[in-house]
Amino acid sequence: MSETKQVKVDQSPESQDRRKFLGGAIGLINAAIGIAIFGPVLGFVGGPIFQKRKKIWVEVIEEAELEMGAAQEVTYSMQVQDGYRKIMRRYSIFMKRSAGGVTAFDPACPHLGCRVKYQGDKERYFCPCHGGVFDEEGNVVAGPPPEPLKQYATKVEDGMIYIEKEV
Amino acid sequence: MSEQETQKVLTPETSVEAPKTKSKEDRLRQDRPSLGDWLELRLGWWGFVRKNLDEPMPAGVGWWQTLGNLLLTLMVFQFTTGIALAIYYSAGPETAHASVKFINEGVQFWGINWGLAVRGLHVYGSAAIVVATVLHIIRVFYWGSYKKPRELTWVLGVFIFFVILGLSFTGYLLPWDQKAYWATVVGTNMAKDVPVLGTAIQQMLLGGPEVGAATLSRFYALHVMVLPAALIVLMGLHLYLVRKHHIAGPVVPQKGKPKPFYPDQLYKDAWVVLGGVAIIIWLAVVYPPGLEGVADPTGVDFTPKPEWYYLGLYELLKIMPKELKIVGTVVIPGVISLGMILLPWLDRSKSRHPAMRPGIIIAGTFIILMIGFMTMKGVLEGGGGHEESESTEISSPEASV
Ligand code: HEM
Ligand code: FES
Repeated sequence: MSETKQVKVDQSPESQDRRKFLGGAIGLINAAIGIAIFGPVLGFVGGPIFQKRKKIWVEVIEEAELEMGAAQEVTYSMQVQDGYRKIMRRYSIFMKRSAGGVTAFDPACPHLGCRVKYQGDKERYFCPCHGGVFDEEGNVVAGPPPEPLKQYATKVEDGMIYIEKEV
Repeated sequence: MSEQETQKVLTPETSVEAPKTKSKEDRLRQDRPSLGDWLELRLGWWGFVRKNLDEPMPAGVGWWQTLGNLLLTLMVFQFTTGIALAIYYSAGPETAHASVKFINEGVQFWGINWGLAVRGLHVYGSAAIVVATVLHIIRVFYWGSYKKPRELTWVLGVFIFFVILGLSFTGYLLPWDQKAYWATVVGTNMAKDVPVLGTAIQQMLLGGPEVGAATLSRFYALHVMVLPAALIVLMGLHLYLVRKHHIAGPVVPQKGKPKPFYPDQLYKDAWVVLGGVAIIIWLAVVYPPGLEGVADPTGVDFTPKPEWYYLGLYELLKIMPKELKIVGTVVIPGVISLGMILLPWLDRSKSRHPAMRPGIIIAGTFIILMIGFMTMKGVLEGGGGHEESESTEISSPEASV
């Protein structure tokens, strides 16, 4: 059907050795080119894995604004590097002020990260995602969460409450 | 093709007749060939088309073998509507939600909401692909069509399935509404449970410590470049192998000669494709896709719930006690995925007949029923969405993520 003719090629043993050698060399060159393509790309895309994190104290709310007693949800803003932008990002946090000091819980459920709600009447935190339940101290009472709610270290300076956060 | 030719016994060994033009070499070689002949000499395209139309279909092949072609057509819909959406969409935390809102409302004339129609086709097209893929997998499983020499056709299919799930997961984030944001928080947290590499995988996906601008860019690149490119390559190889090994007949060979693919099988394919397309158009018109309020990590009045085809997994996570969390997030999905890839080697029976491989059929049926049951449970329980008033207002960028 086609016009391509069978072309005779050199099949001598010497040419076979040469083929093998050059074939190996081409393989090595291609491997090097492969590294040149994927090396920089993987390093670049994998950058976030090697991001350094540090702990800082973040201002949340004036002590006077936080009533004594039951836990309250407080929102605060802090500057973060969000990908390519530096923004004031809003976060919320549960804070409870008592004679002993201030406790602060992260609202992210330790199961898979949904936001827990504080149910004052039942004195518990509840996660609507898969039904995790935590007591007022953040301990798991029911449901699938494997760990207690994350608690932040707090300090009060000049009437302002700070939490220690990893950024 | 003439009537008698159609009657010829077609087997994989039957040589494919050269197109008519080829039988007249001189016609191809004449000084002023027709455009068709000119192209034919250079491309040999007609031979390829002819070969595919003549593809032998063993007796008993019919409606169940139309699903592959349905998937192919739905893919054409996805790529086309996806490109149209990309023309309007903008993948930044300040713009994503607003651009999708514009797609939903901004382009209307002649009484038609064009943007919403295109988005509706894309949304329901993706769901239809998941359904058609699952049906296609189930049919291939019970027919035992993954057996020698079609093992790699199956393995490629499994990878196609993973890419499809990846596309729906990454696409879900793009509208940057509450649903999108929280489904991604939960989904990427699951990755963290993978032993040793978990945190690295999660950080790679997120592009930082939490879901944010970097996550949106990454998901967008995955959704419109990486995964579609992978899908095209995988689909090409899959179809190449399907043609190379020819379609497997029924497990109990039926009387009758194989028939060429065109016209009988293609006619059935056409009806199924028409039905599938009609369903997604109907869904897009009757239930146009909505948009929740803009993503807000501090919003409390929102209960996240994933896309319906992930509800089986969602229910599984609910019932896993805390000591066994990793079983739900990693072990069960991992074992099922690995089992799918290795299926042609797990099922060692020579026969494709279901009765001759009871172990694998029982195990497979059990898994299929469990996934179906858990998904139903998730669907029937409802829930999710907003408890209080829903705001679709776009809050100022500062107030959003
Ligand atoms: C975009 C997705 C897919 C497309 C477009 C596609 C396309 C096709 C087509 C056109 C056929 C021949 C007709 C038919 O049997 O329906 C086929 C056969 C086949 N597919 Fe797929 N497929 C897809 C996904 C999958 C998946 C996810 C699997 C398995 C996990 C799979 C496994 C197979 C096997 C083993 C065959 C051979 C069947 C036989 O010879 O009887 N495919 N595919
Ligand atoms: S995320 Fe809270 S229970 Fe699953």
